[in-house]
Amino acid sequence: MVFLTLSCWLRNRGPHRYWKVQEVLSHARHFRGRKNRCYSLAVRAVRRAFVYATKSRKLKQRNMRKLWISRIAAASREHGMKYPVLIHNLVKCSVQLNRKVLSDLAITEPKSFLSLAKLARARQQEGFGAALGDRKEPPGVFSRIVTLQ
Amino acid sequence: MSSFTKSAQQWATFARSWYLIDARMQPPGKIATMCAIRLQGKHKPIYHALSDIGDHVVVMNTRHIAFSGNKWEQKMYSSHTQYPGGFKQVTATQLHLKDPKAIVKLAVYGMLPRNLHRRTMMQRLHLFPEDDLPEDILQSLTEELPQPREVPRRLDEYTREERDTFPRLWIPPEDYKMI
Repeated sequence: MVFLTLSCWLRNRGPHRYWKVQEVLSHARHFRGRKNRCYSLAVRAVRRAFVYATKSRKLKQRNMRKLWISRIAAASREHGMKYPVLIHNLVKCSVQLNRKVLSDLAITEPKSFLSLAKLARARQQEGFGAALGDRKEPPGVFSRIVTLQ
Repeated sequence: MSSFTKSAQQWATFARSWYLIDARMQPPGKIATMCAIRLQGKHKPIYHALSDIGDHVVVMNTRHIAFSGNKWEQKMYSSHTQYPGGFKQVTATQLHLKDPKAIVKLAVYGMLPRNLHRRTMMQRLHLFPEDDLPEDILQSLTEELPQPREVPRRLDEYTREERDTFPRLWIPPEDYKMI
């Protein structure tokens, strides 16, 4: 026989029902209706809530990017440019600022954003000049990207 | 701007402006896109759907809008009275004669997002068939927006000098008979 003393016969049968119920209800306290009080309803609602939370971790990134893009588009239209033109020309100038930083600049540093918009406009004009040929200025001031070795 | 106090700067950033658009000889669709963008607040870099950041837009001369093509005869506006046999279809001309503000209103309503903010944004849109605006609206206007379409001039609106100096392809002889 293994359990020779009384203390060895005592096993932990798991937490009390109260604590198991509280573990679920604590996540449901801010819900509407009886699902914030009654365990059977709360269990289903909490499971749905956790499923939505897992799925929306991906959605959050998508929504944030959409918000940044609409903010950058609004700010660039204030300066007379459209969003795809701005992004394409910034990429051609090898400005690797992402949309998050661009939207923050548009809100808190308007003059820096204006300078970026002017840079993109200049690069666009250079692109037009190169496509149409025969520009009198030295070719490609902004399109000459210097790569430091 | 950055020399003002923080509270004054915040007040200026989040204040609601009143824009004026003259719709004389303009396509109502283009007017409606401009209105919808400003009612939602999408023209501001601080845009967020929940921020209630839209502005007021006042459109005047809605009676004098100009559809392109044959839309006055061909564009149909449909509605249903929810009673059987209550399907009504009206051409743009008939609707415009019945209510001169309806075309622009329906165009803007269709361009706003289909959520509960749409009705609030429509309340911030003010339409006037002619250019006589009430006093309180005239006082709250902040900016006038440029018209989307360049209005062409009639032949009698050109001066004699402009008509004479306009380049001609060929000059007909004296006895040429134009039919």
